[in-house]
Amino acid sequence: MHTNQSKQTDKALLDLILLGHVNETAVSIVAANLQAIMGLNTDIRPVLDKPDYAYVPGRNQFDAAKIIKTLCSITDGAPLKLGLIESDLCSPILTFVYGESQLGGKAALVSLHRLSAEDPAVTYQRIAKISLHEVGHLLGIKHCWKTTCLMKHSSDLEPLDSLSLYFCSACEYEIKRHLETLINRDI
Amino acid sequence: MSSAMQIMVVDDEENICEALAAWFQKDGYWVETAGSGPEALERMQQKPCDVYLVDIKMPGMDGLELLARLKEKQPDVDVIMITAHGSIQTAVEAMKRGACDYLCKPFDPDQLSLLMERVIASKALRDENIALREQLAEQRETIFEGFVAQSETMQKVFSIIEDVAPSSAPVLITGETGVGKELIAHTIHTHSEQSYGPFVAINCGALSETLLESEIFGHERGAFTGAAKARRGRLEMANNGTLFLDEVGEISTKMQVSLLRALEEKKFERLGGSRAIETNFRLISATHQDLPQLIKENQFREDFFYRINVITVPVAPLRERLEDVPALADHFLERYVQETGKRMEGFTQRALGMLMSYSWPGNVRELRNVIERAVVIARGRMIGAKELTFLNTPGAECQLGTLTLKEVEISHVRAALEACNWNISRAAKQLGIDRSTLNRKIKRYHMTRP
Repeated sequence: MHTNQSKQTDKALLDLILLGHVNETAVSIVAANLQAIMGLNTDIRPVLDKPDYAYVPGRNQFDAAKIIKTLCSITDGAPLKLGLIESDLCSPILTFVYGESQLGGKAALVSLHRLSAEDPAVTYQRIAKISLHEVGHLLGIKHCWKTTCLMKHSSDLEPLDSLSLYFCSACEYEIKRHLETLINRDI
Repeated sequence: MSSAMQIMVVDDEENICEALAAWFQKDGYWVETAGSGPEALERMQQKPCDVYLVDIKMPGMDGLELLARLKEKQPDVDVIMITAHGSIQTAVEAMKRGACDYLCKPFDPDQLSLLMERVIASKALRDENIALREQLAEQRETIFEGFVAQSETMQKVFSIIEDVAPSSAPVLITGETGVGKELIAHTIHTHSEQSYGPFVAINCGALSETLLESEIFGHERGAFTGAAKARRGRLEMANNGTLFLDEVGEISTKMQVSLLRALEEKKFERLGGSRAIETNFRLISATHQDLPQLIKENQFREDFFYRINVITVPVAPLRERLEDVPALADHFLERYVQETGKRMEGFTQRALGMLMSYSWPGNVRELRNVIERAVVIARGRMIGAKELTFLNTPGAECQLGTLTLKEVEISHVRAALEACNWNISRAAKQLGIDRSTLNRKIKRYHMTRP
């Protein structure tokens, strides 16, 4: 899937919001993959402060749900927001999350904390895969059973690494359909 | 992913409900949330769910009480308890009361995924089991209804079947070849406690002694020449089900000893093996032979006879219940009309008369073959005398007043053999009996090809 949508509108559909310091290469790779694989025009927004309001002291982690609520409250810019953070994320029920997203909603969040590998290329691939997966949820796509599809749920790094950087044809079709709806709504 | 599953999360903490709901929604589940036990029960009345995730500590009605109420209203429901680390003891208590598992919050994403996969797999198995049981219950009714017999003698047989089926006592079915002994054995199995187990049949007359022994007891690798692999025997296969020994009179007295031991001790060894294998099955045997006579002739062991003959089901030959012929003929006509797609309405009076005056040495099986043949060759909508002319062979008509049964049988078998130019397979098919049975008859009556 490529950049058909970008031909229809030059306006960004997604803002990448950095929460505290985030590896610049990682940010560029995420933006490039969102553009290349999903056809999603992406803007990189100025860095925001680290979200101390979401810090969970007992767990030394940040509550993903609280950060997502804050990202949702940002009214200007693109209709979709993807937060990137280097710190570890959790949810009230889960010990950790690689990323979190509102299904068919407005904001998603990805942590780089647990994605590092010895080979930096693998690290960047993991970050891109999680970002694409979470943005897929933002567009309303649920988990997919197909073993190589990016929308397949990966509870661990091993299955994540075995995924290719592509969506299956069914998910790709759905992403395209949702993006067209979004573009028409935004125009 | 699993759209059919409906989940309800019950927790007084809104953020927990939201987080779990969001998680399950991404997996394609239909999710509801409730903030308290009473709210969950109210929602359950409106729309019951398959799985409930229930927090143990809730104000008012706690998780344990809600579990009891849910199980009371929907006994097969899966309830997963959510607990904090401090209250694992309560979670264990909940499992004793019927919860299917528990989660200590916060839990690993992996743990949640695995748990849900397990719950789904277990639910699918339960559903499949229920469906299969329903199917089996349906089959039970159909099989009993499928018996076509109006005669008083067969009604008595049905009554015996109904009485003996639920017990696990050994049954001996006696009757001539072709009367439907295997069908009766199957019916007893279907109505028995073992009906959910296998029905394993073996025709003891169709195999040589060595092969039969290996077939019944199984063998270990290298037990004899050609035993390249170990093989399970019918005794093992019949575990928790029914073993049907057809033509039990053909079993050698030597093997009767081994079988008797296996029946009494409920264990045996494979040929060439030393390990005792336990097995538990119901035994149904069948024979067309006069076993008490064989005992007198020292061809059958008395102790084995009493072991297999706890209950006897005697099935009369068709010639002694000719009133069953029209109904059976109609039944087979319907079956073959369906199979061949021909449009046929029934039998002419003359054809029925021929069927009723025939001696049916091959019993119901022969009648079935006769009707099949008539349907195949029939050109009109009715089966008439023309389609049954092959019944008019010498000795074919019932001459009970002038000939003995043995004489009628010899005459009919010879006629069939001559009509088929002594082709055993064809003659056996025409007579409605097995090749092995026909061979035995040829031997018994000292028949030779002219």
